Amino acid sequence: MTRIALPILAVGAAALLVTFPIWSSAWESSRYATTILQSMLVVAILALSLDLLVGSAGMPSLGHAAYFGAGAYAAAIAGQRLGSDDLLLGLGAAVLVSAVLALAIGAVAVRAAGIFFLMLTLAFAQMVFAIAFQAADITGGSNGFSGVRRPTFVGLDFNDATALFHLVAVVFLLVLLLVWRIRSSTYGRALVGLRENERRMRALGYDTTRLKLSAFVLAGAIAGVGGALQAYSIRFVSTNDVGVARSVEAFVSVLIGGASTLLGPAIGAAVVVFIERVLDSYIPFADTVLGLVFIVFVLAARQGIVGLVRVAYARVRA
Amino acid sequence: MIETRELRREFGGIKALAGVTLTVAEGERRAIIGPNGAGKTTLFNVLTGELEPTAGEVRLAGEDVTGRRPHELARRGVARMYQRNELFDSLPARDNVAIAVAAAAGPYRPFRAPPASEIVAAEELLERVGLGGRGAVPARALSHGERRQLELAVALALRPRVLLLDEPTAGMSPAETGRITELIASLDRSLTLVIVEHDMDVVFRLAQRITVLHEGRVIAEGTPDEVRGDTLVNEVYLGKVVA
Repeated sequence: MTRIALPILAVGAAALLVTFPIWSSAWESSRYATTILQSMLVVAILALSLDLLVGSAGMPSLGHAAYFGAGAYAAAIAGQRLGSDDLLLGLGAAVLVSAVLALAIGAVAVRAAGIFFLMLTLAFAQMVFAIAFQAADITGGSNGFSGVRRPTFVGLDFNDATALFHLVAVVFLLVLLLVWRIRSSTYGRALVGLRENERRMRALGYDTTRLKLSAFVLAGAIAGVGGALQAYSIRFVSTNDVGVARSVEAFVSVLIGGASTLLGPAIGAAVVVFIERVLDSYIPFADTVLGLVFIVFVLAARQGIVGLVRVAYARVRA
Repeated sequence: MIETRELRREFGGIKALAGVTLTVAEGERRAIIGPNGAGKTTLFNVLTGELEPTAGEVRLAGEDVTGRRPHELARRGVARMYQRNELFDSLPARDNVAIAVAAAAGPYRPFRAPPASEIVAAEELLERVGLGGRGAVPARALSHGERRQLELAVALALRPRVLLLDEPTAGMSPAETGRITELIASLDRSLTLVIVEHDMDVVFRLAQRITVLHEGRVIAEGTPDEVRGDTLVNEVYLGKVVA
């Protein structure tokens, strides 16, 4: 049954997601909800890319915002300097810059493992933050980069809020599809091999340094796409987008949703953005709530939301 | 097939290998014995590239491979069964072997699912080491004996030219020891085997020649009968075990 039902369900859910602003338009909060959902999708792209490292390959990067931010600045600056609104140019610049940055940082960082890898990625990301802060002529420094031009693509103008949401949702789905393919491929299984036993991988003839670097660059490039969409969404890039808070946001999304699961990081991102953006306007200390939620998951539910659902499902079936 | 010349390895003043010269011919089955701390595992770590020698040379099929990294040696046909299993614990036994089977083609196939032929090859290897029907069980849920069998299947999946076996029967029951010994004995005769083992029954069953290591040096080498008759060997090693 699931063989036929699952693809139909997936396509249905994807269609509902992309058309959200249309079918929810009668609802008075539709515009607000669309904005929040769009923000969730952007953070989800970042979290999905990070999970390739954290979940699949067992590489706990705490500096993943560096590539997100690099993508955001690259898309914004390319649009401004080249005077072009071409979507492919913006996304291309974002992918290129974030991949090159990840290659440079990864070449050093992947030689360390565990907590040392975590500290190195954090330190490098802080350097990127400092550069974004200092190079005010290009990035706007502490004032941020405002007036990001929204892109166009073969007759589609993403200055329209609904069109832009469609773009973000479609790119999110493409990233999800890409990550799904990668996870079920020979390459994805090799990444899991790294997480499980790097020594054995080397003894089998895998060049583990190169394999880790390739994952780091791939994850960085995908994060860069997320960054570009962020820049287009709010038409503004700030140093926050390369800051440690955003790196932590992605890391927490992965852990709350469920590391090394396909949908976990996206679900985690939705929870995190909901607490930060929606709950925050209703209750005081929303950030504290997020902290508590995180602590509960780390202590009691290491497999995240997806893991809890799986356990519950197995119980119901048994 | 494998030659070492004056191989030395020191750990902060402690000489784990103090000049080991060794020649193992192609297709030969060589046992390396010696008391704990004789340098047997250090020798294996150097032969697989996990440790660089302080001095000396390692040759593989005539090629100088001294200082090559582990994956380079693996790609040249050196496989190892570790003394303490090095498995992918949370993955099914089948995937443990499949990752080894896939190693030859490399990991950079990001969009295609692993081909069915790899899974078939993995299942065949599991069958061969006596784990038929256990393919879906995560490595960590297997018994100690089964994990040793899986460790062997993973090493064999590389189709190696040289197989280094570090105490293949460690911690096994007598029945399991008998099974894995016969399995190793039945391997292709063109495969070069180097076996570190404490169980002398296993050594005498498998080895054509025996090298005795003591304090990082070769103190004797010969056929099983010659080594058995060597007084020095009896004193430092066999005497303690056999008498």
